[in-house]
Order: sequence, then structure tokens, then C-alpha cells
Amino acid sequence: MAPMKLLSSDNVEIEVEKEVAERSVLIKNMLEDVGDTTVGAPIPIPNVNEGVLRKVIEWCEHHRNDPPQPADEDSDSRKKSTDIEEWDQKFMQVDQEMLFEIILAANYLDIKPLLDVGCKTVANMIKGKSPEEIRKTFNIQNDFTPEEEDQIRRENEWAEDR
Amino acid sequence: MASPRNQSVRDPTHYDYSSSTGSPERNLQDELETDFFQQSANDSSTSIVDDSKDTEDEELKQFEDMAVSRTAYLPPELLFAIFGRLTSPQDLQACVFVCKSWARCAVELLWIRPHISKFKSLENLSRTIQMERPSFPYSSLIKRLNLTTLVETLNDGTVLALSACNRLERLTLTNCTNVTDTSIMPVLENNPRLLALDLSGLADVTDLSMTVISKNCKKLQGLNITGCKKTTDASMVAVAAHCTHLKRLKLNECDQITNESVMAFTRHCPNLLELDLFKVNKITNLAVLDIFWRLSHLRELRLGYCDLLTDAAFTGIPQRQYESLRILDLTNCDKLTDESVEHIVEMAPRLRNLVLAKCRLITDRAVDAITKLTKNLHYLHLGHCTHLTDEAIKKLISACNRIRYIDLACCQRLTDRSIMMLASLPKLRRIGLVKCSNITDRSLMALVHSNRSHPCALERVHLSYCTNLTVDGIHELINSCSKLTHLSLTGVVCFLRKDLTRFCRLPPAEFNEHQRAVFCVFSGPGVTKLRNHLNHLSLTNGTLAPDQAYYDDREEQETGLVDEEDEEDEEEETQEE
Repeated sequence: MAPMKLLSSDNVEIEVEKEVAERSVLIKNMLEDVGDTTVGAPIPIPNVNEGVLRKVIEWCEHHRNDPPQPADEDSDSRKKSTDIEEWDQKFMQVDQEMLFEIILAANYLDIKPLLDVGCKTVANMIKGKSPEEIRKTFNIQNDFTPEEEDQIRRENEWAEDR
Repeated sequence: MASPRNQSVRDPTHYDYSSSTGSPERNLQDELETDFFQQSANDSSTSIVDDSKDTEDEELKQFEDMAVSRTAYLPPELLFAIFGRLTSPQDLQACVFVCKSWARCAVELLWIRPHISKFKSLENLSRTIQMERPSFPYSSLIKRLNLTTLVETLNDGTVLALSACNRLERLTLTNCTNVTDTSIMPVLENNPRLLALDLSGLADVTDLSMTVISKNCKKLQGLNITGCKKTTDASMVAVAAHCTHLKRLKLNECDQITNESVMAFTRHCPNLLELDLFKVNKITNLAVLDIFWRLSHLRELRLGYCDLLTDAAFTGIPQRQYESLRILDLTNCDKLTDESVEHIVEMAPRLRNLVLAKCRLITDRAVDAITKLTKNLHYLHLGHCTHLTDEAIKKLISACNRIRYIDLACCQRLTDRSIMMLASLPKLRRIGLVKCSNITDRSLMALVHSNRSHPCALERVHLSYCTNLTVDGIHELINSCSKLTHLSLTGVVCFLRKDLTRFCRLPPAEFNEHQRAVFCVFSGPGVTKLRNHLNHLSLTNGTLAPDQAYYDDREEQETGLVDEEDEEDEEEETQEE
């Protein structure tokens, strides 16, 4: 397979096989627009730094032979479920900073299956936790005043009556 | 990273249902996600609120001005994508209280389709949407509301409160029978974005509500007013003229409606795909001809009990192909003859479901025509077509081998030969043979033994009043069909033993004593219990005769007489599927 180069936001060139890079719909479309760039200049990826880009490429290499996404009707169960295959689980065992960077990069590069895995990973970190536990997990500051919190609690009371 | 200030909550108007082609309950998550990803670049200051609502706008500004915590730097569309994975509402609710930026996304997801299962919840919800200064513009967040779980408790007072909602897209009030024009009208007036409205079973709703629909709900694509019997042509002609986007229309049992309304709909609503006119029995051949003349893309048409229809309705249809037509229900259109069926098959070669139950005049010639549907045919109902013979079934089965569902109730000429043919259908899941009184255990053996090569697919088997069947035969059937979830044996005398009927489900409440005595339907776990019991008997006693303890039931067994009413009930039950 033909090699090509990507240029990270911190100006590092990374060599990657075209087939692997094309897991990104953004890159795939770019390549189609500019024609064959295998010998040309590296493609700049201005929103993703080297570390994250290498991580994303690692994922794309592993999933290079994945079948295309199922048709819309079938994807329902896949989207609802938070099951993650084992390799992806291990792949996502990174610090939170990196986890969110991967999600943002997957979104920017338009790699839906990776975005999917990222979102599932975060959702699994939320599941079953109280608001306080969630804040602790993600280091989020509670910016509600007690009055605001109280009002929202009353407004959403209906959802508790189950 | 984008600063939180720029991260607007998506404009709710961006939910795009216009491309909806499937069922009314298209997957919400799907819509949200596709939408979010497509809109990821849209960081303009679109506000969650309608411009007209100044107070809510200010309220939101207040939120936007707050500092947002470190991790919440994910843009809203990604928070939506993450929260969309949370299947439990409790988790979603926890997210509401984490911080303000999370709250905005989580609240939207929590409210877009509120799941209301208790009256108290609805009261609380109503209170919130009527608040003067809510934290979020809740009343505009609700897009889909289904209140069918509250049928009995729902009244005009509670529904009236919902008129605070102004962006409803789907409203389902099936069988909320206490609800009338008084509350429906204001709700409809405030919700011009409605795409799907289900008022089925609301017998007190009148032309007044329908007129509001015609004036105000012009985007409507799905309308179900089954059983709204007070509606007349006076309002429906206007609905047809203004709701021109309609795709699915169900007017079942609205028996004041005539050709005039039906023809107005065919004239103004070229996108109609599904048209249900069950028991709209004033309509005539003219309406049917008009339907076929104008709606060449129709997918589903139900004309059951439109008993004024004659062959001319179908023989006069233009000579063209209706490739899209999949479902045609002509139950009890009892003036139709073989000639209609021949024309129907000719023009709609891709019919998947064909219901000719109680078209009593049809003969083997009609079935001959049906064989031309070949592998397209999945579902065939020929109950009460009493002229049919084994010869017809033989031809049918050899041509249409993908039949999954077949009903031949009361086709009393049929014998074991027919069932032996049916047994060869590899995908047959449901078979209805109520009152096929000639059939014997030989039929059951055929069903059992043809399944040697592949696992038995049968799930529902209706054998009521097949009085020649024996316990041994049923025992074999039930053991070889592991997927069986429904077995009806009402009026099969040998089964009216207490040791077997204790696994039956309860007879319907409206049954009289006699009907209860012969009622014998096993479903779900009942089938498994029956199977276990019969296996136990056969293992321990070497016979399927009841244990001694059950011999005091002779008297009840004697009552097992055939009863016309029972049979009707049996059929209704099967139609529910």
C-alpha cells in the first residue's frame, strides 16, 4: 500500500499507509479532492498534536480491515449498547486528557467508529454514579448555587417518579 | 479549544424529520447523533429558545456567562453523543446536576421524549412547563409525547396543561378515552410542527379538532383517528386539502366518512403510502378506483369490511403496475370474486401480505392467481374461504415457498393432504387451522417430520375445533417445535382435562360460562409447562392419560361443543398479531 505523510499541529511529520489514513473520512475526502498525493507534501492536520495523532493512527491500523459500518437500521443496537471490544477497551486505557483528545480528534477527522468507542468509554465512566461522583471522576466543579440546584431538582421531579 | 461561551446548545429546530421514511418511532438517538455530527462546526450563537421568548433567553444568558469547569470543554455535540449512550434515565438525570454545561445537554435529552408512566409524573411535568421563569425552556424541549400508559387517568384538565408545549412533533394519545375537543384543540393550536398525531380510540373527538388540524398542523405526515367516529366529511375534506404531506392515514371505523373524504385525500396527498379504511363502510368502488388512479406508490391499503365493494372496484383499475403495494387487506369484502383476485395479483405482483378472510365467494381459481406472487408472498389469510380445496393449497405451496404466515380457518374442505404440503414450507412460523375439522394427527406428524432437515420454525399454531386431534399428536408437535409460543386447542375435547387446562391462559373477561368451559389456549410459559407435563406423564406412566387424581372431570369435558362465538374470538385474537 502506498505511504503518505500527515503533519501534526506541532509540525511533526508522520508516515502512514494511505489505506490506514483513509479510515478518516476527512482525509479520504481531502485525498479525493486533491488527487494522488502519495509523492506530494504532507497533509496538515492542524487540530491534532503528534501524541494524539499517533494514538489515532494506532487505532486505524488495528481496524484497517474492519467491514464498513452497518446500514442505518442495524446500527440501532450497536449505538444503544455500551459494549466495547477488548482491544478497544485496552486502547482506551489512557489518562482522561488523552481520552478527550482522542474523542475530539475522532470527531474532527470524522472517524465514526473511533468516536463511538470514545463516547462509550466516557458513558461507561458515568453509569451508575451520583452527580458528586461524576464531578470527582472528571474533576468538574459544581457551578450551581444551592438555589439553582434546588429549582432544577423541582423542575425535573417528574423524571424521578419511576 | 472553543471557549464554552461559544458552545451554544443546538437549535432544536435542527431536528430534521422531513426525510423520515420509516415508522413514526424512528430512532431518536440516530437523529440526534447524525445531526450533531453534521452540525459540529455550527458554533454560531443559535439559542435554545425561540426568539419570541425573551425571559427564557435571559435565563439562558445567565447560564452562558458562568465559568465552566475544566472537563466540560467538550463541545455540546460531543456531550450529546456521550449522554446519548446512557440508556438509564437515572444516569441522564445525574448528569443534569453535574454542572451547567452538562445540564443544558442532559436536560434536552431528558425532555425531548419524556417517558411518563404515572399520573403523578405527568402532573409534575405539567407544573414545570407552566412555570413563569423556568431554568430551561422546558415546554419547547418536548418533541415527542406518548401518554398511552395513562389511558384511564388522563382527562381534559391534564391534556390542557400540555398546550404549553409548542414544538411537539409526535403526540400519541391512543385510547385516552376521556380526552375531548376541549383539551385537544388548544394543544393542536399551539403545535404547528406536529408530524404525527395519534388520536385513535378517542370517540368523543369531533370535527372541531379535525378542523384545527386542517388549519394549523399542515406539516402532518401521520394521522391516526381510528375510532373517532364523530368525524365527518365536513372536516376531513379540509384536512385533506391542507395536510398535503400526509403519508400514513388511518381512518378505521370512522363510518360517517364517505367517498368524498377519501377522494379528497387521494387528490391532495400524493405522498400517501399507507391508507387504512377498515370499516369505513360507506365507501364504494369509486373511492377504490380513485385510490389506484392517483396513488401509484401506495404501500399498504386496508379495506376490510368495506362491504359495498364489488369486482368493478378492482377490474376497473388502470392497466399499470403497482410495484410498491405490499399489503392489501380485503377482509369481509364479501362481494368480491375470483375475478378481483386475478386483477389484484396482475397489477400488484410484489404483494407480501394478502388478506382475503371472509371473501366467501372466492374459489381455487383465486388461489391459482395468487400463486403468481411466488416468493414475494409472506402472509396469506384465507379464513372462511370455504370453497377452497386441497388442490389449491398444493399449487399454492409449490409456488410460494416463502410463506411465513397462513390462515385457513374454517376451510372445511381441506384435509391432511393440505397440511402435509404446508409442512414443507421452510419459513412457516404461524399456521391457523381453526375449525379445519377434517384434519387429524397425520397433519401433526407431517409438521413434525418435515422438520428433520431444519429446526422447526413454527411459533404459533391454532388448532381450535380440530376435534380429531389427540393428546399424543399434540405431544409430538409440542416436543419437536422448540420455538412454539402459542398453541390454541379450544374445543378439542381430549384436551379439556384439568391436568392440561391448568396451564392455559385465562379466558377473556367477556366470555360466558360455556365459552370458558371449552377455552383452551396455551401461550408463553404455558406451552413449556404443558410440554414438561406431557413428557413427565409419558415417562412415569408410559401413557398420556391423566393421573388418577384428575379423573373427576368427565362432566366438564362433555361441554366441548363447537360454538360460533368462540371461533370468532379465536380469530380476533389471531388478528392481533
